[in-house]
Amino acid sequence: MEIIEEKQGAVNIFKLNGRLDSNTSQGFEQKLFQAISDGSKTMVVDFKDLDYISSAGLRVILKATKAIKREDGRIMLCSMQDYVKEVFEIAGFDSFLPIVATMDDALKSF
Amino acid sequence: MAHKEYSFELKSDLSELDKLCRHLETFGKKTGISKKIVFELNLVLDELFTNIISYGFDDDCEHIIKVTMTPKNEGLCLCIEDDGRPFNPAEFETTDVSCSIEECKIGGLGIHIIRKLMDDICYERCEDKNILKLKKVLAKPKC
Repeated sequence: MEIIEEKQGAVNIFKLNGRLDSNTSQGFEQKLFQAISDGSKTMVVDFKDLDYISSAGLRVILKATKAIKREDGRIMLCSMQDYVKEVFEIAGFDSFLPIVATMDDALKSF
Repeated sequence: MAHKEYSFELKSDLSELDKLCRHLETFGKKTGISKKIVFELNLVLDELFTNIISYGFDDDCEHIIKVTMTPKNEGLCLCIEDDGRPFNPAEFETTDVSCSIEECKIGGLGIHIIRKLMDDICYERCEDKNILKLKKVLAKPKC
């Protein structure tokens, strides 16, 4: 999986490309937590080019969301493909994670 | 749909998930099942495989996990065999997932996903092997 990191103002953007599973989730977790420990309080994860997610990927998203909340920050999730979104729904995560349709929606929310 | 059995073996290493994905793509092309079902089968097998190699073995030796997929008239059967310690996912208690972010526990999430996506799960322990059989009912093709 490829992770492209960008910064737009104070917002850290992570664009995921490929598959987020137990083999790739650790690398993503490190990047997210590095940004949190560097003081980032606003983050967007862009799922547009993510083709697949397993519970290992959900675990990282949940962990990071909790960690950034403790710092009074916020993480937004955007542009999910249908199958990927379905995994969030099956897990019940869509009820408490901020999932929005587009990157614009995510950026406007801050 | 061709009623042919498709089987393959994975080594006990997380990098084998890529191989699992390629096998699912090949299986999808051979049988003509939809991309959505291929995705769901991939997810179910990924969760089971990841569980087995994360918790199933007491040593650092290489183990083999065998996967067999068989299309049946209106469904699909999966069979996963491993020689890890006995574990029955059909009996594993999962937590309530419709909770708030503070209460949400991640344990058992993989098994919860498997139960949601498959219609029947059957476990047996046979000669030091875990044999897990799962069924998925597919919608009837439109005539």
